[in-house]
Amino acid sequence: MTAAHIVASGLGKRYGDQVALDGIDLLEQGGLITLLGPNGAGKSTLLRCLATVVTPDDGSLMVDGLDPRREPERIEIRRRLGYMPQDIGLIAGSRVFDAVEYIAVLKDHREDRRRRRAVSDVLDRVGLRDVAGERVERLSGGMRRRVGVAQALLGSPTLMVLDEPSAGLDPDERMRLREILTERRRSTTVFVSTHMTDEAAISDTVLVIAGGSIRFAGSPGRLAALAAGRTWVQTDLPPPDVRASWRLVDGRHRCLGRPPADAELVEPTLEDGYLLVRTAVSPSA
Amino acid sequence: MSQIVNQVRLDANWSAISAELDAPKASMAERLLGRLRVPGHIARLVVATPALRRAWYLAIGIAVLIGLGSARPDNPASVFVLLAIAPALPVLGVAMAYGRSADPMYEAQVATPMPGLRLVAIRTVTVLVVAILAVGVPALLASTTRSMAFAWLLPALALTSASLALMTWFPPRRATAIVAVIWFVGVVVARRVGPDELAAFGAFGQLGAAMVTAIGVAVIGARRSSFDRMEHAS
Repeated sequence: MTAAHIVASGLGKRYGDQVALDGIDLLEQGGLITLLGPNGAGKSTLLRCLATVVTPDDGSLMVDGLDPRREPERIEIRRRLGYMPQDIGLIAGSRVFDAVEYIAVLKDHREDRRRRRAVSDVLDRVGLRDVAGERVERLSGGMRRRVGVAQALLGSPTLMVLDEPSAGLDPDERMRLREILTERRRSTTVFVSTHMTDEAAISDTVLVIAGGSIRFAGSPGRLAALAAGRTWVQTDLPPPDVRASWRLVDGRHRCLGRPPADAELVEPTLEDGYLLVRTAVSPSA
Repeated sequence: MSQIVNQVRLDANWSAISAELDAPKASMAERLLGRLRVPGHIARLVVATPALRRAWYLAIGIAVLIGLGSARPDNPASVFVLLAIAPALPVLGVAMAYGRSADPMYEAQVATPMPGLRLVAIRTVTVLVVAILAVGVPALLASTTRSMAFAWLLPALALTSASLALMTWFPPRRATAIVAVIWFVGVVVARRVGPDELAAFGAFGQLGAAMVTAIGVAVIGARRSSFDRMEHAS
């Protein structure tokens, strides 16, 4: 199976008067695509549309040429999909194995032994096999998210949609997640949302979303390069017209925007590029 | 040894054995369903749906109340109470077993290839079976209710199908509330204006219930796609 081919054109979604998505266009096949954006930017809504659980009000979405608005095609897309919602919502009292096996049943793993083996395999891959018999309420936040990743990995999906999979993970867990995502992106189109800009460094494509629109699409290197020549450090308080600034541990200020003539320019990071794009959208941010 | 044993097969065997060891022991309910020849994956689905547990507790709790209420053979009102409350029981059970507010795993399961309507149907049948056992058995045991022990079944099907049909437009709890209010107002009015206290459960009532069931099933079938999306399930 090859990675899912995603074509979205003019995707729009409203909740009452609030515009959640406003004309999103996408063309992706394979690789790791990271969605960056502030709270309420539309990341989760876009991921829900890609996961076919929410129907866009405008535009079209095709996954491998299949239209999720048609029931048989939607079911076929879901056979190829691994989805982890932002709210994992594990049910108190159930065991880790049960929580994953439940989704395995819904993913058409009917034969008992094969299903248990598939569950055991994905638990092994996310490092939860040792706690397969634990009650889910005893798990840490990071472990709960790994259960969600395990559910999404079931059935070797060619499209994975993971909403903030790294939230609450400790550094070791984040490293393991990175390994899984890096491995999967060879054969899978993986969409991941995150608030942590450093998480986007391993991705093939970064999408910066704000106000329901994509404000940047490109490689992490290109995003960081946007801030080249626009990032500097200074000892004095930053002028009011900088896009963003914050105090460093050495007492100096790191600033983004139009640098003064004598500015001490520094190498920009992914975060600098992201903040520059974000503040271009919302100057008050 | 490694020359005569296929390592790949050995690994696969070990993997299968350890998967069986990882799997928790089947619960009593799951073993019971297995003996009733329910396929393993369906049994897993039923017992692993914790949202159903609340529905079962509710069904059993109300059945006990109804049993106590109908234990007075000299009080014909107890039959009315039984027949008025019993059909609403599966509806409440379904509402408590379906939707975002009832089921923490709702969003993850919507994104699976299992059609939403099929999942709802499995849960509905489970709730109906539990409700039929919970209400039917006490009704059969009480002498006053024996003749009408199953008069509530068609109304129960009607309310359940009407409720599921409304769930294609409204969130489950609102749909259930609308159906429950209409039902209780209807039976109380029928009791006052009808020829006898149990008019709502007579031949005309049963015919009406059959019609509502048929219409409800038709609407559910026509609008089944809404069970595959999150929008109406808040």
